[in-house]
Amino acid sequence: MEGLVHLFVEAAARRYPEKIAVYHGDLSATYREIDAGANRIAHCLFRQGLKPGQRVVVVMENSLESIQAYYGILKAGGVSVEVPDRSTLSEVAYFIGNSGARACMLSKASAGRLAGIDIPLIIGPDMDFNNSAARYIPWSSLQNQPDSSPERAIDTGGLAALVYTSGSTGKPKGVMLTHANLCANTLSIASYLGLNPDDRAMVILPFHYVYGKTLLNTHFASGGSIVINNRFVFPNVVVQEMVKRECTIFAGVPSTFAFLLNRSIFNRTAIASLRIVTQAGGAMAPALTQRLRDTLKSARLYVMYGATEASARLSYLPPERLSDKLGSIGIPIPGVQIDVRDDTGAVKAPYEEGNICARGPNIMRGYWDDPDETAKALKPWGLVTGDLGYYDDEGFLFLTGRKKEMLKVGGERVSPKEIEDAIIASHLIHEAAVIGRPDKLLHEVPEAFIVPIDAQTFRLEDLSAYVQEQLAPRKQPRHWNIVKSLPKKSSGKIDKEALKS
Amino acid sequence: MSSLKDVITQFIKDNFITGRSGVVIADDISLIDSGIMDSTGVLELVEFLEATYAITIKDEDLMPENLETIDNIIAFLRTKGVT
Repeated sequence: MEGLVHLFVEAAARRYPEKIAVYHGDLSATYREIDAGANRIAHCLFRQGLKPGQRVVVVMENSLESIQAYYGILKAGGVSVEVPDRSTLSEVAYFIGNSGARACMLSKASAGRLAGIDIPLIIGPDMDFNNSAARYIPWSSLQNQPDSSPERAIDTGGLAALVYTSGSTGKPKGVMLTHANLCANTLSIASYLGLNPDDRAMVILPFHYVYGKTLLNTHFASGGSIVINNRFVFPNVVVQEMVKRECTIFAGVPSTFAFLLNRSIFNRTAIASLRIVTQAGGAMAPALTQRLRDTLKSARLYVMYGATEASARLSYLPPERLSDKLGSIGIPIPGVQIDVRDDTGAVKAPYEEGNICARGPNIMRGYWDDPDETAKALKPWGLVTGDLGYYDDEGFLFLTGRKKEMLKVGGERVSPKEIEDAIIASHLIHEAAVIGRPDKLLHEVPEAFIVPIDAQTFRLEDLSAYVQEQLAPRKQPRHWNIVKSLPKKSSGKIDKEALKS
Repeated sequence: MSSLKDVITQFIKDNFITGRSGVVIADDISLIDSGIMDSTGVLELVEFLEATYAITIKDEDLMPENLETIDNIIAFLRTKGVT
């Protein structure tokens, strides 16, 4: 590969032109078709005056078109800014304003909600789009564009994507990822997972989320195929399609697996083809990891860790070490160096907790138009992830918490993650989130939000008795909230900021 | 006594579209694609149906043909003996 993300699809189109690259419901597309569609979008953007390095906002759910949009923008020399497809008009206005985008691409669903969007160029569905300020190009008219590669000269060090990430404070920040960043991370992931052209991945994670995007790029890089299913709202439907399509790979975040194990037919359904399951997107409670491991039987379970600022992936736990290193996020992926450091950058000894810091070709260039935040995250010794953890004496990493989420209970530092893990280990709770509640005496105390597995038989005294056995008094939640669900971000991660408000 | 449809529609309005009064939900519109319910919303609905009608909804039943539209929900409840 020559270090450009869209060369993954071009190479696959040359090598496997008639192979089906993507399945989506009753639709499918070959590599040749995906590549040709992306070329047409690139020609269109180019003719409409898109300059190298200009940003294009994409507000689309996963689809054949959204894949072509992504690679088309890159082929045109543009920078893809994919945002959650359910974003509101004001959220999209922020992404457009912050990124300075001059063009956007919409799906049928998002176009219906974003008619008032303020941007000079829109590519969207065939509909009467009531926006006189914008030039509107319907998707269907792209058929008139050439389907050959536009062959633009693009620098591998140039920006490929801005990925907005919402921190715990302030507005979302745009993570600047270059072609070189994304290519390095894609090839590293494909190598440690051992992906091959026969692999077929079930994709339920959105492509605007870096974990979802790695599924697209890694399988295209290895000539495999993907199955898009945007209906994880009914997990059974996804399980059935995995059986039908003979998927070999499945990827999810902790809440995905909580749903699959607690509220679906996953436990009782044999998916004989499944050979790899990956989990990232936040630390999963070891008790849930163990249950997933037991349920999967022959498939290899990869617990992984990463950050948007690292293109996606930083570490993985080799499946053969899952049992003896349960709870670990593993070892650095090929090409990446991870160190645990103090605030001055000094490296900590094994078992000493510190900041998890990373160096490698996948680390972002910085935050878009935000030198202050960039300076906080990118130190001379690498990316400061904001996560706390330690190495054991065999070089396996363990997360202890998120620096900004750590509670101060009576002067003692308490990790919400440790409390959440203990709650899940009770096997009474589907999902849990712990935040700090201000307290006059202790500064703050743990407050837990819990979703019982069986709401009708659940008794809080059973859970609190269990937790009292597991945790020191300072770590025991002082306030319990039994809720029906936890607020989620579009990636499926629990939205703790929403719990605080 | 309210009809099944009234009860379900009211639950959906109260829980998933608060703050938007006067919203009309067609009986055959997808509650998912229209953005009214997400995955946790489905589980909230299931819990409500179980508690209100004293029925058990199995994991196998959590399918679009049973829960995607108000029409589907009513038909599903009828198979469970709810009238």
